Amino acid sequence: MDFPFSGTGVMTQSNIVEFRSVTKTYNFGRPDAFTAIQQVSFTVEDLRDHGEFISILGPSGSGKSTILRLLAGLDPQHPPTSGTVLVAGRPVTGPGADRGMVFQDYTSFDHRTVLDNVAFGLECRGVSKSERYAKAREWIARVGLDVQADAVKYPHELSGGMRQRVAIARTLILHPRIILMDEPFGALDPHNRYQMQDLLVSLWRHVQATVFFVTHSVEEAVYLGDRVFVLSRSPGTLLHQIAVPPPDRPAAEMQRDPAFQQKVFEIRDILEQLETSPRGSGNPAGFERS
Amino acid sequence: MTNAEKPPGDLSGFPQASPGAVDPPVPEGSGVSELVEQSGRDWLPELRRPIPRWLTALAGIACVVICLGLWWWATAGAAEERLLLYSQLPSIRETIDYLPNLWDAAAPERHLWYNTKVSLGRVLLGFSLALCVGIPLGIAAGCFPVLQSALAPLILFGRNIPVAALTALVFALFGTGELQKVMFIFIACVAFILSDAISAVQEVGQRYVETALTLGASRLQIIVKVLVPLAMPMIFDSLRVLFGLAFGYIMLVEIIQEGQGAGGLGYLLNIARRRSRPEIMVIIVLTIPVVAWLIDQLLYAVQCLLFRWKYGREAEASVVLRFSRSILRLFWKNPDAVKSL
Ligand SMILES: Nc1ncnc2c1ncn2[C@@H]1O[C@H](COP(=O)(O)OP(=O)(O)O)[C@@H](O)[C@H]1O
Ligand SMILES: [Mg+2]
Repeated sequence: MDFPFSGTGVMTQSNIVEFRSVTKTYNFGRPDAFTAIQQVSFTVEDLRDHGEFISILGPSGSGKSTILRLLAGLDPQHPPTSGTVLVAGRPVTGPGADRGMVFQDYTSFDHRTVLDNVAFGLECRGVSKSERYAKAREWIARVGLDVQADAVKYPHELSGGMRQRVAIARTLILHPRIILMDEPFGALDPHNRYQMQDLLVSLWRHVQATVFFVTHSVEEAVYLGDRVFVLSRSPGTLLHQIAVPPPDRPAAEMQRDPAFQQKVFEIRDILEQLETSPRGSGNPAGFERS
Repeated sequence: MTNAEKPPGDLSGFPQASPGAVDPPVPEGSGVSELVEQSGRDWLPELRRPIPRWLTALAGIACVVICLGLWWWATAGAAEERLLLYSQLPSIRETIDYLPNLWDAAAPERHLWYNTKVSLGRVLLGFSLALCVGIPLGIAAGCFPVLQSALAPLILFGRNIPVAALTALVFALFGTGELQKVMFIFIACVAFILSDAISAVQEVGQRYVETALTLGASRLQIIVKVLVPLAMPMIFDSLRVLFGLAFGYIMLVEIIQEGQGAGGLGYLLNIARRRSRPEIMVIIVLTIPVVAWLIDQLLYAVQCLLFRWKYGREAEASVVLRFSRSILRLFWKNPDAVKSL
């Protein structure tokens, strides 16, 4: 799980994540080839004691999930068609527990209790039962679930918000360097959403990981993020990287602030323009080598 | 459907500004009254509406009564005048009168329960054998498509083998002994178990596998901790269906063997034919489904207990579970202890 920062390899910079002109063409070389993202480049610095929070916005199909899954090293997005995805200076070779992922659809293991769901990663590492359960209980409490009542429940007895809490606990218990979240709160109602945003902010301060957070909600992106990435319509390119103030108040409160809303409107205008502008800002099957 | 599976160009899920999509024009002044009229005009009962329990029972009883009535009507009257002769279908009276003969302690080889037990034992043996081969192999093939491709021809033949041809085949291969009967059930079931296990594993969402991968699970750990447990309820479902089928088919091979010591329901059918006793046939036709249903309910109860994470409250609806619980309650006063059964 650890990244040796010394020794062999191309370990020159202190970037936790780097995309070097990454292009992903699905079904490359076949008639149904489709370029999802094109020439995406960015870097996220590895700041000590402070992971950066990156929100990703973009029209549907602009390649947000593709970027996240490239980072996670999951098929069929991995490997990129061209370019390099570097994590801590090394090319991503496949999935690993150093990059935790929370999906939009609830992926709690239905056959495991909340406790065993949260302890899953530790179990895979061979941590003893008493130790992993103790840690799992800690995390269950930390994500705002009831250790006594909820730990023994099965996922089918939980609400959507509770399931996402389990998913977050299950990921964070492993202390990943990078947390990838693909519209994790997309299926929750607004009230639950605020709660989860507040929870995420407090947890994120605790674990100090770099977070990539895909969302459709501009408010959510601006509230949570240090930086907001805006992708163009398909094939996705990285259009803007907008620095935004970090969350310093509870979600429901800060999102009513006029300065906050000003920022939201700015970004919404950019997105609206993308939505309504005629398609063809890029060649749909276009795959150009530079 | 994950995003990865979305066809290219799928723009759902993002607010779309589509000025062309306006609601179709509604003719004014015709809306409400027409709706009311329509629901009054529909003569069909409410679609899919659940019915009270008494009506469920009544409908079932009505069906049984009608069938018994038809049976009675077709076999009523003097021997020569009835619609269906005794040799075609014995009357209700004749069947009931014959029943004690299948209870007779003096002739245990004709005993209905004894022969049911013998048949059941054979099915169990052959079926267990098929499980031991089919499930591990099916799970492996569900995880590794190479193995699935290699097994595909076998499964194709196994699933489409005509049962009548199979009886002849096992007769030729294994004679008329126990081996023939066990192998018949084994061959008849193994391909189905195999293919059902494969599809059960494949049915488990890829997102579970991906989640496990991002939590650092190895491939073997994913098979053992994720794919197999999540596939098990579906495998169990198909096993219940298959077991019922196997129990119905076993008689096909039992009927081949004549003479002493053969046993089984097929053997009982042989007696019926040789002694021209159609009552036996009717009794078997009537008891087997009941036995099969009881076994299925028992397996369902086991399934609910094994996979509580999936069935939860559904287990409460299991007849066998409710029944055994109420029996327990007669002896055991503590309701909580019984409830946790
Ligand atoms: N496995 C795949 N095969 C082919 N096309 C894909 C695949 N996965 C995604 N796509 C296409 O790539 C584009 C980007 O997908 P995705 O990254 O899921 O977009 P987003 O998450 O921004 O909505 C979409 O148009 C989608 O249809
Ligand atoms: Mg997506």
